[in-house]
Amino acid sequence: MPQDYDVIVIGAGTGGYVAAIRAAQLGLKTAVVEKQKALGGTCLLWGCIPTKALLEHAHALKVVQHANEWGVTIADASTGSGPARVGIDMNQVQTRKDRVVTGLTKGVEFLFKKNKIDWIKGTARLTGNGGVDVFEGEKQTLRARKEIIVATGSTPRGVPGIEIDRARIITSDEAISLRDVPKTLVIMGSGAVGVEFASIFNRFGSDVTIVELLPRLVPVEDEAVSGELEKAFRKQGITSHTGAKVTGAKVNGGRVDVDVRLADGTTKNIRADYLLVATGRGPVTTGLNAEGVGLQIEEGYIKVDTLFRTNVPGISAVGDVITFGAPGHPQLAHVSSAEGILTAERIAGQETRPINYDHVPGCTYCDPEIGSVGLTEAEAKARGFDVRVGTFPFGVLGRAKMAQETDGFVKIVADRKYDELLGVHMIGPRSTELVAEATVALRLESTVEELIRTIHAHPTFAEAIGEAAHALHGTAIHS
Amino acid sequence: MPQMGESIAEGTIVRWIKKVGDKVDRDEPLFEISTDKVDAEIPSPAAGVVSEIRVKEGETVPVNSVVAVIGLAVAAASAPAALADKEAGSKAPAPPPPAHYHDRDEPTQVAVVAAPSTASAGRTPATVEKAHAGSTDYAIRERSSPLVRKIAKEHSVDIGQIHGTGIAGRVTKDDILGYIGQDGRTAERQDSKAPAGALVPAAIPFKPGASDHVEKMSVMRKRIAEHMVVSRRTSAHVHSVFEVNFWRIAKIREAKKAEFERSGAKLTYMSFIIKAVIDALRAVPIVNASVDGDTIVYHKDINVGIAVALDWGLIVPVIKHADEKNLVGLSRAVVDLATRARGKQLKPDEVAGGTFTITNPGVFGALFGMPIISQPQVAILGVGNVEKRPVVIDDAIAIRPMAYLTLGYDHRVIDGAVADEFMSIVKTSLENWDPNAV
Repeated sequence: MPQDYDVIVIGAGTGGYVAAIRAAQLGLKTAVVEKQKALGGTCLLWGCIPTKALLEHAHALKVVQHANEWGVTIADASTGSGPARVGIDMNQVQTRKDRVVTGLTKGVEFLFKKNKIDWIKGTARLTGNGGVDVFEGEKQTLRARKEIIVATGSTPRGVPGIEIDRARIITSDEAISLRDVPKTLVIMGSGAVGVEFASIFNRFGSDVTIVELLPRLVPVEDEAVSGELEKAFRKQGITSHTGAKVTGAKVNGGRVDVDVRLADGTTKNIRADYLLVATGRGPVTTGLNAEGVGLQIEEGYIKVDTLFRTNVPGISAVGDVITFGAPGHPQLAHVSSAEGILTAERIAGQETRPINYDHVPGCTYCDPEIGSVGLTEAEAKARGFDVRVGTFPFGVLGRAKMAQETDGFVKIVADRKYDELLGVHMIGPRSTELVAEATVALRLESTVEELIRTIHAHPTFAEAIGEAAHALHGTAIHS
Repeated sequence: MPQMGESIAEGTIVRWIKKVGDKVDRDEPLFEISTDKVDAEIPSPAAGVVSEIRVKEGETVPVNSVVAVIGLAVAAASAPAALADKEAGSKAPAPPPPAHYHDRDEPTQVAVVAAPSTASAGRTPATVEKAHAGSTDYAIRERSSPLVRKIAKEHSVDIGQIHGTGIAGRVTKDDILGYIGQDGRTAERQDSKAPAGALVPAAIPFKPGASDHVEKMSVMRKRIAEHMVVSRRTSAHVHSVFEVNFWRIAKIREAKKAEFERSGAKLTYMSFIIKAVIDALRAVPIVNASVDGDTIVYHKDINVGIAVALDWGLIVPVIKHADEKNLVGLSRAVVDLATRARGKQLKPDEVAGGTFTITNPGVFGALFGMPIISQPQVAILGVGNVEKRPVVIDDAIAIRPMAYLTLGYDHRVIDGAVADEFMSIVKTSLENWDPNAV
């Protein structure tokens, strides 16, 4: 006898667990199949949460390193100028990070109990007509009366020719749990994952080299942001090779030899403790029998429409595992949860509107932080807008001077014709928080004029947004 | 007038299925419309009696205009005293917007689409009390964004007239751009191309004689007329005709017919031709492309339009991602689209997005056709009648089912040799079909 549910969610990551809670809130009997030992998926276990925990450690270390400047005295380090002699205890870092992660996964478990959601432990296999077999020990047979939501997520993906051994040639999954600070670290790829680990380990004391295939760091961001990050990294001692390719990597006596072909065609060999492969994430559909039930698959991803329905009636999919066809679908926790909520509401019979992916904020927690939403200047031009740009540096603000975080700027991209706000790109202190204001403004179809007339409290970092809006109209007060 | 698609700004009432005084059930067909893209029967949004028809057959009105009023017969008869304003209380505008455009907790939603002049009459009894309370109604109609207000000001548009699709009936940027009939940017692009239109020679004037019958063109006829002239002017049309031997296909059809019919599918010549065309499009991508100014856009998707003749004109529904379908799937898609085209059940997006078109003049007996390209595509295949003809095979005369296939192509981007390469692929696959690949 199969166990019957209204909705069966496969995967308890941000897309899956949020979809399940929303479905349960709407009165649907819901189960979640998850094979990991804990709930929360990539975000909680190997992604957002652990990396940002490590970044907080890096930030704490940064403040202590500059203790003298702050007038904070530490025994043995209170004399002389320059950075205090301080170090980082990786065991304590890992203990605290694990505590944060465990606390949050238990939180999801609590939410499941509160909403009467069953956690079915094991690997799910679709069997057609609403059927799901779960394997772990004995086979369990489930049946979804209304809908199955596939939210199986993604996993770090390597590149051909570089064999990930998870010991010396590692992915972010291993990097979050390192118990030593590498002396030298080479990072392949400068997307969010790459530059965040660069910031973490550079602060912890590693000699970090980034190798990026494209001509600039953080290639999805506005070009000005890439330029500013490269400058800041150079100042901090992080080496960036852009337009460069890792042509080979060989583990050799507890270290790894990395061959790099630089932009000018010359080659370079770097001997590093670790090579971190951060070149992107691929979909997870192992054991799912996706093709067996007729799901349309494109380059490994499950094809869905704008309301996350697959081609098979009764099966939806959300999060990192999906594609709309070209162009790519953003693999972000907050996108997955928005998709999960929308899908649960649709299944419950509520009216839903497709998500506007031009309004998805992106946050990169490198140092300095990056927060951006909407079109970059280049994208806006490509779409035919008559583009106007306004930029304001954080360095001028009183608040930034106090915090000693003066790198970076806010850049606003707008359309001249209707003064329409098209994008906001920030690099600098608290940018990942400040992006929220810009996201609301875009969502409400704001004009730049509205941002100018919005009173920004003083003294705050957010003043930079108001000033950038002024600058776009050529009326910045403080520059 | 319901909104049939994002880019459709107006519609023509072709026929009133119900007349004044007729009783109508909810979802029963009320009237028939014709728009730029499709023709459709519009179901009644409410049950009642048609008390007023405001738009005559043949008239064209913007979307969201009130076209008729349905009286709530029961409410008016049973509780007239309760309603202070009988006029207002007994009438609901028709049709209200599809319910999904509004949040369920908005009782005054019907007013959102009512034209201002009819707003006071356009309330259901349930909303009368609310309306007395003040300008709630007006406030809802004014719900918009700063950007929308800016656009409205520039174009002198009354936001209250626009049907809002945002949360709680909010008028969004897309709504107003749709209303003023432009996506601001593309409109400008069209403007800059406008001078080309000046080159069209004026039609030669003539006076209809006394015995002539004069009839106004339907919306669809006007669209076809415009499109054909534009296409002839845009593309450098060239045609190339190939003769194809359908002997193998005929044998495969004969052998598999029963098997396919058992699964409810028909194995038509057309499905084989579409399949062969898809393979050829993949091999010669320039045929699956568009011209944009001085650039060539190669389409990744293969969306095959199939021209369907209607008693009242012609429509080209599109099989999206045709390359992902097998023979049965293609055959089913053709039957489904053609049936729904004739039943006026197509959705606007089902006639958009084609990357290549196939037309079949052969069904009417034509030996071959010289079809005009459906813009912005660059080629079209015309299929002639499949008929038995004497042909020479290995120096002997044999009787074989033969057909002429014509490729109409845009010589701006496709040269003769390339077009013939494309047609050779089509011919070769049709003549050498592997019976196991069915």
